[in-house]
Parts: sequence; structure tokens; C-alpha cells
Amino acid sequence: MIVKRVRVKNESGLDSRPAAIIVRKASSYQSKFSIIREGFRVNGKSIIGVMTLVAEPGLELTLEFNGTDEEQAAADIVAFFENGFQE
Amino acid sequence: MSLFDEIQEIRKENISVGFLADECRDRFRLRSINEGVGREKLITDRNLHRPQLALAGYTKLFTYHRVQVLGNTEIYYLNSLKPEKQQQTFRAILNFDVPCLIITNSNQLDPALIEIATERGVALFSTDHETTKAVYFLSDFLDDQFAGYAPVHGSFVDVYGVGLLFVGRSGIGKSEIVLDLVERGHRLVADDVITVTRKGAGILMGAGTRIGEHFMEVRGLGILNVREMFGIRAIRFQKRVEVVVELQEWDPKAEYTRTGLDEEPVSLLDVELPHVLLPIFSGKNITVIAEVIALNYLLCHYGYNAAEVFAEKLSDSIDRSNGRDSRDRSIPYFEHDFE
Repeated sequence: MIVKRVRVKNESGLDSRPAAIIVRKASSYQSKFSIIREGFRVNGKSIIGVMTLVAEPGLELTLEFNGTDEEQAAADIVAFFENGFQE
Repeated sequence: MSLFDEIQEIRKENISVGFLADECRDRFRLRSINEGVGREKLITDRNLHRPQLALAGYTKLFTYHRVQVLGNTEIYYLNSLKPEKQQQTFRAILNFDVPCLIITNSNQLDPALIEIATERGVALFSTDHETTKAVYFLSDFLDDQFAGYAPVHGSFVDVYGVGLLFVGRSGIGKSEIVLDLVERGHRLVADDVITVTRKGAGILMGAGTRIGEHFMEVRGLGILNVREMFGIRAIRFQKRVEVVVELQEWDPKAEYTRTGLDEEPVSLLDVELPHVLLPIFSGKNITVIAEVIALNYLLCHYGYNAAEVFAEKLSDSIDRSNGRDSRDRSIPYFEHDFE
């Protein structure tokens, strides 16, 4: 399992556009993927789940990857956070 | 590994007095006496305290960190004192870091005492409920605030009044089952993210999240709003979680229950729930099975367990079969009525 701390870096927060992209990226991997906001854990492959986080700019989140391709998944999604949700 | 191993219970460590004031104003007719004072103070205990002995001067073991309730006894006692002694007694209580004071039964507090509380930054509230009732309401509210809760990934539907929680990996078809159930007149509580909260011992309540309420995603269609699409009768806001239905790809090597006598319950937030492991394969109508699970739960709840009754019938027949013709056709004679 890989655990990463990331920050929401863009101005509008984790709104529907980046949420959809994260879910799409996550779904292309076998690994299980969770996002955790202060103990509140959602499935990162579910769009409603990711949007339920209501993650505002500046917020820190924990990402958890678990599975055979967890390294690729983590690299891909962490990079997306690091770039401020720019593809 | 058990089904809900990953679920981590969340608990509030505290709530602010301001939050209590806002949430209880209309619910329990809790009026603020010194509006705006002491809202930032924190309540860390779900219990209430009536500070009778503390008022009388015995402050050892005074559970001052609890919400303090002043009922008739406390107020009448204060009123029986001379003003100077009254203020001194009241000050003695507020020398401890109490979160707030609640005065029941519409009792009035002397303006001089209100001033002392305001000076010390302690919020005062008043309610017209009598003490027993006020304590009951407030205890229940605080119990709920400090109850353990957790988000669960799944779908939660009321089927014939039974709360069925569907879980299984992403993409196995939970949302499709929900749509099918809603179409047949059952009611969606929440899809995708369900917040479950332990109420008392052995009761688990489930609801949607504030933002996710009755929205759902169906792969290939996108986001839908079940309430807007199917109307008010297709939803409800909260429901007790009664059965966990786990969906799994059909695995010819796995063992599925055949009699229903050996069902292992599953534990979620330390609450034991009946658990049905349901293999999925094409041509299987999960909706009907879900309805039957609900009906079977109701039957068992009302005292009829088909598996047990059948097993009993079998052992009775075995007992009675001594010396009977083993070529039994189960019906001894088809009467002359060819229907």
C-alpha cells in the first residue's frame, strides 16, 4: 500500500472537472484508491465520492493506493495534484 | 479479512457551545439569555450535570466540564439566598471552567447573576421544557453528536421498510440495482457515500452526506438526481441499517450458503448485522433477490425462519420414519380427481 499526502493547489478547489479526471485516472488502474479528508474516507473511483469531500483550495488530503499497479497509479494521481489539476 | 476492516470510526472530540445553541434553538426551544457570549467554548462530554452539591459548596468531584443544567432545585436554592451570598455561590461555580449553563422550566435568573456569567464569558440558555424533558432531549442530542460514525462505500435502499446496504467493488452494479429497486417503488437513502452512525448499542443509522444526498452516478449516463427524476416517494433521508448485502462476482470455487442456517453476521462500527453474500452472474435478477432478502428478514423478525422450520420438519420426519416403507412416494394416494 502507498500512502501520500497532497494539497489542493488550484484556485477553485477539487470541483467537478478535476474530480472527474481523478476518477477517470483511478479507474484505469486495478489498485484500490481511497481519498481521506480528516478521517472521512471515500472511494477515489466514485465521482460522487470524490465530490462529497468538498475539498477547498489549500486543503490537505491523504491518498491511499493498494494493488498490483499502485506505484503507477500513485505517480499519475499525485502528479495531477502537484500540477494544480493541470493536465 | 472481514468486510468492513478498512472502515475507521470517526468521533467528534468536542462541539462548540455556539453549535449547540444553533442546533437546539428550534429543536428544543433553547433560547440564549446572553446572546453571543461564550460561543467558542467547547463541550467535550456527552453527559449533563446538575450542580446541586457544587452550589451547596461541595466542589470535590464537581464534573464542571459537563453542560450544567439548572432545574427547579438549583434555581429555588439560589433564590433562597441573600443577594450577596447568591452571587458568591454563583461565582464559585463559574470559577470552574464550565462550558455553559442551561436553565429549564422557564425559570428566571437574577440580572446580577446574568451579568456575572457574561463577565466570565459563559453562555446562559433558557428553555420552557421541564428539567426531565430538557435533560432527555439534550442527552440524546449530545449522544448523537459524540456517536461514532464512518463513511461506507455502497448503496443504501429501503426495501419494504428494511434497510439494505449493498456493498461490493466499484463497477459491480450497485447503482443499477438501486435504479431497478427505485423503479419498483422502493426508496433510495443514499448512493456511493453512506454515513453510518452508531446510535445506542446495536443500532446503526445510515444517511447520505449533505452534498451527495440522492445524487447518484450511473456509469455511461453520468450524475442523476433520483429525487427529481422519480419524485419524493422514491427517497428517504435516513434509515436503520438492517442487512448487509455483499455483491461478488460468481466464483465457482467459493462457498455460498445453501440453507441460510450458517450465516455469519458482519460487524460494522461494532454493530453486528446480518450479512448475505450474493454471487452475481448474467441472467440473475438481483432486484427480485433483494426484495426476497428484505421479506425474509421481516419473516425472521416476526418469528418465522424458513430454514429452521424446514430443518425441524426434516428431523421430525427422520424420527418418525422408523419401520416405514422406504419406497415412500411422499404422496400416499392420488385421489380420483385429475386436476
